[in-house]
Amino acid sequence: MAPQARSEATRQKILDAAMDLFSEVGYAAAGLGEIIERAGMTKGALYHHFDSKEALATAIIEQGDNLTRDVFGHVCQYSSPALENLIHGVFVVTDLLVSDKAARTAEQLTRGLAEFNNAASHVWPNRLDAMTTQARRAITEGDLRDGLDPQVVSESILNAMLGAQLLSSAAQDTGHITRLTRSLELLLPAIVADQSLDYFRQFLAREPLRHLQAGGSTK
Amino acid sequence: MGRRGMPAPAQTVDQRNDFDGHSTTPGRVATFGGSSSPIIGETDSAAELPKREAIVPLHGDGDETGETMTEASERPPGTTRQRLIAAASREFAHRPYSMVSLDDILAEAQLTKGAMYFHFQSKQALALAIIDDLNEMSRAAVTESLARRMSGLETLIDLIFLLAVQDTQDEVARAGVRLLETLDNTTTAPPAMWRSWIGVVTTLIQKAISEGDVADHDDPEDIAKLLVALWAGVRRISNPDQPESHLANLKTVWVLALPSFTNPDRIDYFTQFIRRRHALALNKVSAEPLSLDRHATAAAAHADP
Repeated sequence: MAPQARSEATRQKILDAAMDLFSEVGYAAAGLGEIIERAGMTKGALYHHFDSKEALATAIIEQGDNLTRDVFGHVCQYSSPALENLIHGVFVVTDLLVSDKAARTAEQLTRGLAEFNNAASHVWPNRLDAMTTQARRAITEGDLRDGLDPQVVSESILNAMLGAQLLSSAAQDTGHITRLTRSLELLLPAIVADQSLDYFRQFLAREPLRHLQAGGSTK
Repeated sequence: MGRRGMPAPAQTVDQRNDFDGHSTTPGRVATFGGSSSPIIGETDSAAELPKREAIVPLHGDGDETGETMTEASERPPGTTRQRLIAAASREFAHRPYSMVSLDDILAEAQLTKGAMYFHFQSKQALALAIIDDLNEMSRAAVTESLARRMSGLETLIDLIFLLAVQDTQDEVARAGVRLLETLDNTTTAPPAMWRSWIGVVTTLIQKAISEGDVADHDDPEDIAKLLVALWAGVRRISNPDQPESHLANLKTVWVLALPSFTNPDRIDYFTQFIRRRHALALNKVSAEPLSLDRHATAAAAHADP
């Protein structure tokens, strides 16, 4: 293996060990010594890549946030209605957070460190911006009710997504998709234009079906 | 650098915006069949779209020999190979293959014969390279549709409309579509291409059956043949210079065909699903009328400083 590739592999091995420990015992209780032990590395190797526990957290947040941004970005095509993108996008992200370790750990760290860590503090504002872009387009496409503030629409949908995650992790079940579907069922009539409501109810009701395979194989 | 190293003209049709609003151009072949495409990962059927390393330049792409004598400022941008493909596409997209001469292409590209023979041995070699590019763009569209993680039938409809916009708006794709018809009997590429399309659609129909959208009383491959035939037929009977009528034809035949394979309680939903995509595709083609120098622009954006 080339030195650069080996260095990258070492870095990823440390990150994996840190993700495991952070999600088992939480960020605060995780010690660098235990991460080193779990990764099977020396202290020198860890400090070569990360100068502190917070640097580890930052790297995990960035890695997970990139994944999340990518899957949302893939959903948001010009060729599909923006309100579909907005709704389907939060489900695809929710699914990723259930099935992908890096994305899930990043989300937990973001929740805990949003007020303290620079990388974490940007995660939700950026996500909200991307959603608001779709909400704005959905207004021009006539699928949202007249006079709605696109920012408020995307905030409400993000609130539903974050709430579904919190309740599901508190209940330690995998009811994310079901909880999110129920919340959005209630929200839809308040935001969707009358002539589009019936279609979007069907579109939303299909979400569990879209995540059958992906959501079923929880790692 | 081989020919796969050229910039991706396909994606000029759609520069997607991601979370930050910067554009993410989906990989063309490199990412194909990767972990982000679960359906293809299972069967690899789409990966069988013909991929032919037909014309390998003897010395690589870096030459700039054979410039005709023009002022440097008038010279079209891009590497010699890109300029040849772009010029040939413009010629082939508007006139029959047999009517286009090599001299027309060279004049359009402002290059000499010597520069061309360095990359392509004949007019047919150029035409086959354009068909190759069309196949790559189509593969990219499959990858892009799968990455949206919708249901099987939704993915298929997304794909059909992405391809329709691409086939009418992109000069290389348009030329490729016309050349496919002309060269149908002279190469082995088209039959392999149709087989792989049927494979891709069969996989999506199988998924749609398991999701309850498509009735399970017919063979998925038979349904796939029907849909590929519809798609190819619409492309054939529509005038590529009138993308609006192409899109209208596509919508009409799909809405008509739906009840023959869709479960009755899903027909209404999918009819609306099609109408909504048709409306957006229509916006797209009327907002961005085909520009003849699109590839010159794309090549300029990728040209080395």
